[in-house]
Amino acid sequence: MTRILKITLLATTVLTAPMAWADTADGSMLIGKDWDAVREMAKGGTVNWFMWGGADNINQYVSDYVGGILKDQYGITLNRVGITDTVEAVNIVLGEKESGVMDKGSVDMIWINGENFRTMRQGGLVWCGYTDSLPNNALVNWDNPAIANDFGVPVEGCEVPWSRAQFAFAHDSAVTPNPPRSIPELLDWIKANPGQFTYPAPPDFTGAVFVRHVFYHAAGGSQNLMGPFDQAKFDDAAAKTWVILNEIEPMLWREGKTYPNAINQLNELFANKEVALTFNYEPAQFGLAVQAGTYPDTVMSYGLTDGTIGNTNYTIIPFNSPNKAAAMVLQNVLLSGEAQLQKALPDVWGANSGIEMDRTSAEVQAAFNAIERHPSVVAAEDLAENSLPELQADWISAIEQGWITNVAEN
Amino acid sequence: MSDRTTIILLLLPALLVIGVLFFGGLLIGVMRSFNYMPVIGLTTPNLDAYAAVFADPEFYWSFLLTFHIAFTSTVISAVIAIAAALLLRRSFVGRGLISFLFQLNLTVPHLVGAIGILYLFSQSGSFARLAAEMGLITRPGDFPAMVFDPYAIGIILQYIWKEVPFIGVIVLANMQSIGHDYEAVARSLGASRWQAFRHVLLPLIFPGVLSASVMVFAFTFGAYEIPAVLGANYPATLPVLAYRSYTDVDLAARPEAMAMAVVIAVLSAIMIAIYIRATRRGIRS
Amino acid sequence: MQREPLAIRSIQVISGLVLIVWLVLPLIPLAIWSFARGWRFPSLLPQAWSLKAWEYTLSDTAGVLDSLWLTIWIAVCATLLSILIGVPAGRALGMHKFRGKALVEMIILAPVIVPGIAVALGIHSVFIGLGLTNTVIGVVLVHLIPTLPYMTLVMAGIFANYDPAFEQQARSLGASPLRTFWHVTLPAIMPGIIVGGLFAFLVSWSQYVLTLLIGGGRVVTLPLLLFNFVSSGRNDITGAIAMIYILPGVLILILTARQLSGRSGAVGGFGRL
Repeated sequence: MTRILKITLLATTVLTAPMAWADTADGSMLIGKDWDAVREMAKGGTVNWFMWGGADNINQYVSDYVGGILKDQYGITLNRVGITDTVEAVNIVLGEKESGVMDKGSVDMIWINGENFRTMRQGGLVWCGYTDSLPNNALVNWDNPAIANDFGVPVEGCEVPWSRAQFAFAHDSAVTPNPPRSIPELLDWIKANPGQFTYPAPPDFTGAVFVRHVFYHAAGGSQNLMGPFDQAKFDDAAAKTWVILNEIEPMLWREGKTYPNAINQLNELFANKEVALTFNYEPAQFGLAVQAGTYPDTVMSYGLTDGTIGNTNYTIIPFNSPNKAAAMVLQNVLLSGEAQLQKALPDVWGANSGIEMDRTSAEVQAAFNAIERHPSVVAAEDLAENSLPELQADWISAIEQGWITNVAEN
Repeated sequence: MSDRTTIILLLLPALLVIGVLFFGGLLIGVMRSFNYMPVIGLTTPNLDAYAAVFADPEFYWSFLLTFHIAFTSTVISAVIAIAAALLLRRSFVGRGLISFLFQLNLTVPHLVGAIGILYLFSQSGSFARLAAEMGLITRPGDFPAMVFDPYAIGIILQYIWKEVPFIGVIVLANMQSIGHDYEAVARSLGASRWQAFRHVLLPLIFPGVLSASVMVFAFTFGAYEIPAVLGANYPATLPVLAYRSYTDVDLAARPEAMAMAVVIAVLSAIMIAIYIRATRRGIRS
Repeated sequence: MQREPLAIRSIQVISGLVLIVWLVLPLIPLAIWSFARGWRFPSLLPQAWSLKAWEYTLSDTAGVLDSLWLTIWIAVCATLLSILIGVPAGRALGMHKFRGKALVEMIILAPVIVPGIAVALGIHSVFIGLGLTNTVIGVVLVHLIPTLPYMTLVMAGIFANYDPAFEQQARSLGASPLRTFWHVTLPAIMPGIIVGGLFAFLVSWSQYVLTLLIGGGRVVTLPLLLFNFVSSGRNDITGAIAMIYILPGVLILILTARQLSGRSGAVGGFGRL
């Protein structure tokens, strides 16, 4: 009954214009302020953090652990908003800007990277220039180009890293003891084992990055592709890529007549042995899936000898957030050694740290080094030996569109 | 208060709500489909979005698929619903249970049914496992593809599952208010069961069947979440296509999404007008 | 009444059985999944059982229970508003003839013919300007679009069979319009209100795309949560949320079942498009 009352009150207060206690929509006022002042202004505020909500363990880490710290130590309420696709949050901010909602936005923070980040920057939807004020920003290695650039777009103080990820494959060692360990090997393996492989159709995030691996292979390596979009280079590599993908199409699952819509469908196929291989941008997911019983414990993940693509994911504050101070405090917490350590624990998430662990305190470092990763998760260091950079967003859109036109519509 | 004033007052709230929300939304959608968005400075309407939509081969495949799904689901559901109503109007063992299950089905949202069908009919679903248990197949790939397939079998199954009770409850109510008398007269005059049904009962319940079918057709044509869960990737149904365009990070796709939405609205109206015309003529003849 | 021949009776029984199984079937794997910890091909039953999915679903973090109350609240509001608006409209359409009636009918029933998504994209822009996006009231309003026509349709059907003579008698005996409505009209149209209300509630209950577009992810109803988890492949949590999601509808049905049979004439309204 009280829940109903609570929701009723919530509903009616939503009708009236929401007034945050510590309304900190004015970003320019916050930049350069010293940290204690920011904390004071943030106290009593709320952060509406929009993030992918399809993983119960991530939801629990954010709502319980991070939310708990915010509440207990800073007096801030964390409101985690679970969405199915990050673009939903981007669209909200975009729509608000189009309608002139400049300082009462409904989104305070987004878990984001890649094309979505580019869209927000291009649309002037991001609040930038404040990141040096965050004490824990010192833990971030901004000299690393893979962190200072988000899919080739310079971060320039507009977002703050959260985790790093690197693409990895997985196989069931009981069923497929000798999986192909490079793209050329994979292509041969597909021809020799028809119906045992497929990939999600772009623009699914994971399917798209798989296609980019084939693209790198067709282009003879990633070196030539770095930098701004080059139509000539693109056409050259793309033509070869479509030939490769169309050539293997009849030997894919369902003879390539349809592709899984999204990565979770591929995971289902893999779990049920309809296909022999799957992959993911975040290898920690394999450990979590084995723990949840989705995959048998003989599932092992591995990298490719010709390298796999890595990226960083970030959190961002939209230009019209009315709770910027509180969002800054949240970001600072996320960057802290303790929070990154907690996130790295295999039964919490197992996510790779976004900061340099050797810049944190001694206890955190010790605990971090003592972590035993889940046996199904390939060691991050092994993957990092063959890490490939991501392309700039224009390349990515072109590849996605090209795939739809040249492979899907065939 | 005059009659006319009364009528206007009674209708005003409904007309206001539908007028503003529905037709207003449609109007804005039409405007934006013509690239006319003064808010962000676009003040010259043009047909670019429509050109892009009609030049895309996926659009035509999508329309065919969506029409196929709506038509097949509606026809099969209507036929089964009539049969089920015939079954249920007489007393027999289990009638109460089936009536209850029919009504229960009405309360189950489509999304839940779609997920259930997914778990039952996918190549690694319950039926496939039963087949494996019985030795009919060895690998999931051997089981016929009924979800994510080009003929949208899974989607149609799900619509049949939900719409048979919907149409059935309406037809049953119809039959119960019509009663048995007309058929009894026909039988006493020597007509067979089938003749009594075909020439006496069927015409009487037909308006109700038609009305319910129109609602089902419109719904299945425009539904989003069921094809999103059960549908193949290419071609996707029209609503899925429109939603994808609308939420694309590339803003240029917005007017195209609006154009698709307008086309969906116009196509639905036309198809249903044709349907009603054709069958009304059929009734009258 | 003649005894049906054996052939026909067997067909009845067999079809009855098939119907019963068919109606219940899709719900079974959902229920089983909610208790499963790993259920892979070719196992007929889960390899391991667990309550973790239910623990998570019922926990505060998941927000499923909050979402449940929110979805109920929105559906109740949409239903009440539909009743308030649809009863008068149904009266006008059911009891009166007037010029332009066909046009009015088409206008009010248009949302049944034209899919919601076609209109939602346009409405989204209107609502942003009005500040109604990401609000509960905005979602309730947009739910009115599909629910109002159904309500009006049912009430028009009821009012078509309604005799205003009783009202006139009551008025001539000195009753005020309010008392007349409460004691004469309302009881007579109550079956329609119940059936129409039930449909309106169910239509709002199952809305996904409208809530997603207008609510902007801030208004998290159960179908959105369900879609979240089915998209991410967590079948166990999907099963648990699905079980919770169908419960209120079942409860309401049990309370209103009697009205759905043909005797009340309310359902017949649907046959009048």
